[in-house]
Amino acid sequence: MREPTFLILTALAAGPRYGYGIIQDVAELSGGRTSLLPGTLYTALDRLAAEGLVEIDREETVDGRLRRYYRLTPRGVTALEAETARLRELTAAAETRLRTLRPRTA
Amino acid sequence: MSERQTMPVTPDPLARRYRRLLLCYPRAWRRERGEELVATLLEAAPPGRTRPSAREAANLIGHGMRARLGRPRSRSVVVWAALAAVICGLFTASLATRLAWETSRPMPDQAEAAAVLAEIMPGQAVDGIYVPSGLFTMYGEQLSLKMLDSLLFGDGNEYALSATTASRNGASTVPVAQLAAAIEQRLRDSGWTVYGVTHHDLYSCAGPPCDPTVIPQDTRLFAERGDTTMAVELMPQQYADSTFLSVSLSRTTPAAVLPAGIVGGLLGAVAGWLVFGWASRRAQAPHPVRVVVNVLFGITMTLWWPPVLYVAPFMVNHHLGEPHPSWHPLWEWLGQPTFSLFLAAGCAAALLGLALAALPSRRREPQRVAAV
Repeated sequence: MREPTFLILTALAAGPRYGYGIIQDVAELSGGRTSLLPGTLYTALDRLAAEGLVEIDREETVDGRLRRYYRLTPRGVTALEAETARLRELTAAAETRLRTLRPRTA
Repeated sequence: MSERQTMPVTPDPLARRYRRLLLCYPRAWRRERGEELVATLLEAAPPGRTRPSAREAANLIGHGMRARLGRPRSRSVVVWAALAAVICGLFTASLATRLAWETSRPMPDQAEAAAVLAEIMPGQAVDGIYVPSGLFTMYGEQLSLKMLDSLLFGDGNEYALSATTASRNGASTVPVAQLAAAIEQRLRDSGWTVYGVTHHDLYSCAGPPCDPTVIPQDTRLFAERGDTTMAVELMPQQYADSTFLSVSLSRTTPAAVLPAGIVGGLLGAVAGWLVFGWASRRAQAPHPVRVVVNVLFGITMTLWWPPVLYVAPFMVNHHLGEPHPSWHPLWEWLGQPTFSLFLAAGCAAALLGLALAALPSRRREPQRVAAV
């Protein structure tokens, strides 16, 4: 799973979000490193929807502008859990090796 | 529902410009999600912005073109679309360059050829001057429908840039090297740009025993002046009546060919991408003949690409092997019309695939992102 996809799913894990809300959340989650452009976001949403990982929650019109909220599907939750576990394992492995490296380089 | 109903005209210039960029997305996508995307773009835009940034524009164009391919789960569809777009661009660029060649002057006539020959080879009479009937000929004639079978079935390589030719049979009164040097000097004195002299074996080893050092070689000179190119070929005498001197006068590539090729290529590539995208969207599940459409696309690419990949390296070697005042036309680099049968069969497969893709699908409405 690519990082933007992981971040979009993570943003939706907190509850339904609409387009701009996802963009803001992704920027916050990544500490400003990932700045999604709307075109990129909607291509990713198309793909995630086709894969059955996200779905539309509801629609609202605010100030004459359409907001469509997206939420994770059960499959999306499972995919995010699997990716999180994979990343946790990788992080743990890296931390273990770094701990053994530090005394030698100190 | 009409697109105007879902994408209202607005006085906001930024929204209008975003909507214009959204034309890169397919119509069904715009109907379904255009307003949502515009709303997100407007919300993400910093205050005071009146035009989309270059990054935003490139992003929307790129993702819009991706959306035109449909199949959002597929990553390989982009590769297939690129293959189709590039080959279509190459073919349309070839067609455009062929049309641009019509801006060239006709091949040198008798008088022009005689004047050039008198200039560079005074005292060397030729046995005759042959003036071709057109810029590009096959068997010495302009291409016509009656030649179609020859063009398709094996003799396509006969279609080539023509030249006004003159030759002389018999034996040279001076050694070939001396004659070549004299012609080269006169060409330079007459304002021709002369390329280096090259030598080529008259034949290759048919098998052992063979001593390559004793194979006779010809001597070739290439020159250019204005829009005229010249190739002089001097051959060692083999028989009393064999040709020892051959001169070809042709035209350089007209200036219009390069821009025509670029414009034609770009238009063809965009058209190839759009047509592929249309067929790809149409032939998604649950289209009844999607597998057949996919197979026909595969057949088309299998017929169109191999001649290009086979011939292009040979053309590179050929161009490196001897000077070329003008490069061979683009279509020859693509193996055309030598492999025109492959091209025609590929066109038939592509048209059949497009016709099948146009058949009604079981799905009538554009696919929504997901059911609520």
